[in-house]
Amino acid sequence: MTQVFYGLLLYIFLAMPPVVHFLESIMVLHMHMQMPMLVASGFFMAPFFQKRFPQFFSKWNGDGVPGIVLFSIIMVYWTIPRTMDEALTIPAVELFKFISIPFLAGVPLRDSWMKLSKWGRHVVLIGFTLLFIVMGLLYVLTPVQLCNSYLVIDQFTLGWGFLTTSIGMIVYLIYAFVVDPSKYEGIPPEDMSSSDE
Amino acid sequence: MATVPHSLNDKSVTRSFKEKTGKMLGVNPQDAKFTKTYMFVAFAALLLGGILGLLQGLNRAGFMELSPQHYYQVLTAHGLLLVVVFSGFFCIGYFYAAMSHTLGGLLPKVRKMAWTGFALKIAGFVLAVIPILMNQASVMYTFYPPMAASPVYYIGLALIVVGIWLCCFGAFIQVANWRKQNPGKHVPILSFFATGVFVLLFFGSVPVAIEVLVLVLPWSLGWVDTINVMLSRTLFWAFGHTYVNIWYMTAVSAWYVVIPKLIGGRRWNDTLTRVVVIALVIMNITGGFHHQIIDPGIEEPIKFMHVFMSLAIGFPSLMTAYAMFAVFERTSRRQGGKGLLGWYKKMPWGDVRFLAPMIAMIGFIPAGAGGIAQSTNQLDQVVHNSLWITGHFHLTLGISVALTFFGISYWLIPHVSKRVLTRKMNRFGVVQTILWTVGMIFMSGAMHTVGLFGSPRRTAFTTYFDNATALSWNPYMTLIGLGAILLVIAAVMQVYAAFNLMFFAPKGEEEFPIAEAEVGDVTGYWTERWGLWVALLIIVVAMAYVIPLTDMIVNAPPGSPPFKTW
Ligand code: HEM
Ligand SMILES: [Cu+2]
Repeated sequence: MTQVFYGLLLYIFLAMPPVVHFLESIMVLHMHMQMPMLVASGFFMAPFFQKRFPQFFSKWNGDGVPGIVLFSIIMVYWTIPRTMDEALTIPAVELFKFISIPFLAGVPLRDSWMKLSKWGRHVVLIGFTLLFIVMGLLYVLTPVQLCNSYLVIDQFTLGWGFLTTSIGMIVYLIYAFVVDPSKYEGIPPEDMSSSDE
Repeated sequence: MATVPHSLNDKSVTRSFKEKTGKMLGVNPQDAKFTKTYMFVAFAALLLGGILGLLQGLNRAGFMELSPQHYYQVLTAHGLLLVVVFSGFFCIGYFYAAMSHTLGGLLPKVRKMAWTGFALKIAGFVLAVIPILMNQASVMYTFYPPMAASPVYYIGLALIVVGIWLCCFGAFIQVANWRKQNPGKHVPILSFFATGVFVLLFFGSVPVAIEVLVLVLPWSLGWVDTINVMLSRTLFWAFGHTYVNIWYMTAVSAWYVVIPKLIGGRRWNDTLTRVVVIALVIMNITGGFHHQIIDPGIEEPIKFMHVFMSLAIGFPSLMTAYAMFAVFERTSRRQGGKGLLGWYKKMPWGDVRFLAPMIAMIGFIPAGAGGIAQSTNQLDQVVHNSLWITGHFHLTLGISVALTFFGISYWLIPHVSKRVLTRKMNRFGVVQTILWTVGMIFMSGAMHTVGLFGSPRRTAFTTYFDNATALSWNPYMTLIGLGAILLVIAAVMQVYAAFNLMFFAPKGEEEFPIAEAEVGDVTGYWTERWGLWVALLIIVVAMAYVIPLTDMIVNAPPGSPPFKTW
């Protein structure tokens, strides 16, 4: 349960006004630091909910697919420039961000990731890598401001943030496809997915 | 000081060691030759670099005339010889010996790659030295634009980087091959450290390769007129900082693995040791910004963010400090030591293989504290570009890293040369270690203090027209000179010891001391997921650098033409 506590601590930290203000003052920190850390806080808090409502998770998220779909929808929603703008200007949307990302994305991510097969995980990763490349190109190539609240240079920086992050993800995917863990670890690949993490 | 290292010249211990590892693990003569060559180059560089250091020290003390022009020439060579050649060659020679020893000998292919790397590095070094000698490259080892050296200097640097890459890939192939042949087994701990170091060495040198090939070389050749100064500095420090931490990690590997063996104990928790390596690998490169805390053109929020990123690296270091004391206490209690500090009496202080790295570790306590202070913007403004900084890295490099390397050399060189460390040579080493320590305390202590009073680094002796403040520095400058004299004596002794152990010491087998893990210490296999660690490394670097780099490129001021300031 210590990780639940640290998740909560991280959540409270991220919700502190100066931290919110700092992270939201720079576009790339808003999207690539605040949001992933909110996901992480939910990820750590997940066991709290999993223990409390085990039937709920097994009934609705037995194979992990619904959870990962929910996660993906929430995350994609928050990559839309307009949603970021609204989070800055409409308090209710900001509140929605602080609820949706940890609890509707972070928690289901934790519950689903363990349940997904190796291929399911790869599909998710490939999907997000493609999304990152597309978003990156969009933000790098667009000559006009897409958000009211951020300048073109912020946007450009975010675009490169997306592209460079996707390089990291591609490296991981190549590694996952090229390196056959069973050759190194002496366990058949099927066992791997369960002993993972 | 009466404790005598039990394995020195002790036939029975040597024999049981031999039996344990079996014949096939005895030093492979070809691998031994490789490491010996690296050690030879490293210690030759120490000798030359140390003598140049003496010249600088004597000059700053006012004992010796050195024109400013020559001062910078000497300073450039001192920096290059010690940080690029001495530390760099030692680190690679040591880890290749470790891989050969723990992974059952190097593969012929790997050996060939590493030798090619060696040739490239030597060729690069020769190319870099020629312009320095001709006074065409007094740009110091940081080679900050807009100071411009002869293009030959940069071509030399680029060759050195390519040589390093070959050694990195050789190591990757070696480790991957071993893992394939030993499915399910953990990479032995020293080779795990080696993997981490070579991953960092590769990724850390990418930015400097970009700096040299894309920015500096075309500009020094006159193909482009101007250069983006901030961008080149940033790329340099992404490398420079990582490079420093690589030596630190090399030293740390000996603290975790070798020292416990020398005190007759076992290693600290294996999983956490590997976690320290992984954490250092993932978080290191981004620390480079702390060298630019005072640089203009970087927004405050970014500097603020980077204070966190730098201090994050402090965390694994604190774990290391904890681990070492835990091992000392545990070992001494097993041997009947009492109390929290009882271990002090049980340690083999008379064994140079222990004494040198132990002082290195103790030295890291003030060195690390100074580093944390320097990561703080307001504090750094006081000491930036003062002799404090020079004092700081002579503590981190000259004590924590160099003394550990010296300590290693007393067993590694005889090990690969099939000779032994005699009692006499051990005593010689103890004296040498103490001399070096005292010299560094004088020199580094005086540098720290006089730096606080404002004396600048990288400046030949001057009284600034007998300015009162500058004159008040002089007593400390004298101490720097005295420290330098002690240091150079210790350096010459160390080089003598290294060459003696390599060519003249009595024949025999010297142990490669590697401590075992505690009984029942099981490690999670997830620690071996290097693909994941590399992906995380890239993402962390991307996050940290994307804002300032975009800003520096898009909002760049007019670039600078090359200058020859000397
Ligand atoms: C014989 C022992 C040594 C002596 C007497 C010595 C002395 C000095 C002095 C006086 C300076 C110049 C300070 C200035 O004007 O800014 C200096 C700079 C430096 N030393 Fe040493 N040093 C020694 C060993 C080492 C070692 C072992 C290392 C690293 C492994 C090292 C790395 C450096 C570096 C990187 C610089 C900075 C060069 C620059 O500012 O461009 N030194 N040293
Ligand atoms: Cu640094």
